[in-house]
Amino acid sequence: MSSILLISGGPSPTARTGVVVSHVDGLLREAGYGVRTLHVRQLPTLPLLTEDLRDPEIGDAVAAVLRADGIVVASPVYRAAYSGLVKALLDMLPKKALRGRVILPLATGGSQGFLVAMDYALNPLLAGKGADSVLRGEFVLDSDIDGGTIAPKAAEAIRGAVDRFTPAVEEARFRRERTRLRPAG
Amino acid sequence: MTAGPMAAGPITTLAVVHAGLGSPSSTQLLATRLAEATQNEVARRQAPDLEVRSVHLRDVARDIADNLVTGFPSARLREVVESVTGADAVIAVTPTFNASYSGLFKSFVDVLEPGSLAGKPVLIGATGGTERHSLVLDHALRPLFAYLRTIVVPTGVYAASSDWGAEGLPGRIDRAAGELADLLVGRAAPTPTPASASIEDFVPFDQLLAGR
Ligand SMILES: Cc1cc2nc3c(=O)[nH]c(=O)nc-3n(C[C@H](O)[C@H](O)[C@H](O)COP(=O)(O)O)c2cc1C
Repeated sequence: MSSILLISGGPSPTARTGVVVSHVDGLLREAGYGVRTLHVRQLPTLPLLTEDLRDPEIGDAVAAVLRADGIVVASPVYRAAYSGLVKALLDMLPKKALRGRVILPLATGGSQGFLVAMDYALNPLLAGKGADSVLRGEFVLDSDIDGGTIAPKAAEAIRGAVDRFTPAVEEARFRRERTRLRPAG
Repeated sequence: MTAGPMAAGPITTLAVVHAGLGSPSSTQLLATRLAEATQNEVARRQAPDLEVRSVHLRDVARDIADNLVTGFPSARLREVVESVTGADAVIAVTPTFNASYSGLFKSFVDVLEPGSLAGKPVLIGATGGTERHSLVLDHALRPLFAYLRTIVVPTGVYAASSDWGAEGLPGRIDRAAGELADLLVGRAAPTPTPASASIEDFVPFDQLLAGR
């Protein structure tokens, strides 16, 4: 079974990005996937913001990325770009860390216009880490998240994104295993 | 020189914010050079001395992360934020990580109120390992400060490892500092405007023409 990592860049699990992430987590579990959620905010702050790879929890987070077949990157839109916390985590990944892994970007924000802003900021960053399979993401409006619940139309869009994501993840895992099984040379 | 006599005016302040991580930090070095050059350029324009306040974001990294969660700054962070939002101009310098600003630098911007830097002159700078990433200025920092509705001077300064001690960098520093000094001289502290300037502030064009 493929392994999937959810990276949640929100300030807390109950904030909007966290709500979207736990919704996606539920959908993936329903479909039978092994999922782990990484709340960036719960990583030790000082090593995170000072990009200190020697910290064991940071090392563990990076290792989780390197084990995943598929990664959901969820960030609130802050100042028309990804949050600083998400940036700090992605910075710490080794070169080409995202190669061969399927990435699904998710963002929450106040206005639809930020979808473009997010693409502008996030895609080069993912590409810089070797990502070669970034799916079309979803943008969830703040007004579509009320407490812990997501409005039906937005939930439908998220389900659509997950339905694009899982077959691509399966395929990526299949390709990786085939490469691994092929005799060297 | 068109600036009038300023001797009796309020003190002009310059906030210098940098997100260097190394020690010694090339980002700190660039920030210091830019601040010194700006002081010189202001002095050349016969304006009163600048008061420079330096902020090393690394020292408040934990406060910044806590603010993201609680929504409130610690006393120490509030002082830092106020020294930046209350300054007449800002120099902001980040190391380049993956061709963009660092997570620490962005996190600091994330905790600033969006309107709190509006109208403020800003000089942007970045350090990096390779010359190829000088586009961090125009592709990452400039849009960010445009979002904050600041006035970014035309010259940004990028310093790669190979620029230190080489020709070119001092000239770029002086040019950028001159541009910032031009904006600073004869300028009182801009009052921050809230992100949503209200319709009451709107003055109809005919009233403007009538000299209201
Ligand atoms: C995680 C990480 C990523 C980096 N990415 C880049 C980069 O994309 N481009 C670049 O020119 N330098 C890059 N560098 C080098 C730093 O920008 C450079 O060392 C910086 O000037 C250090 O600033 P400091 O001495 O103030 O800490 C990277 C360094 C680190 C630690």
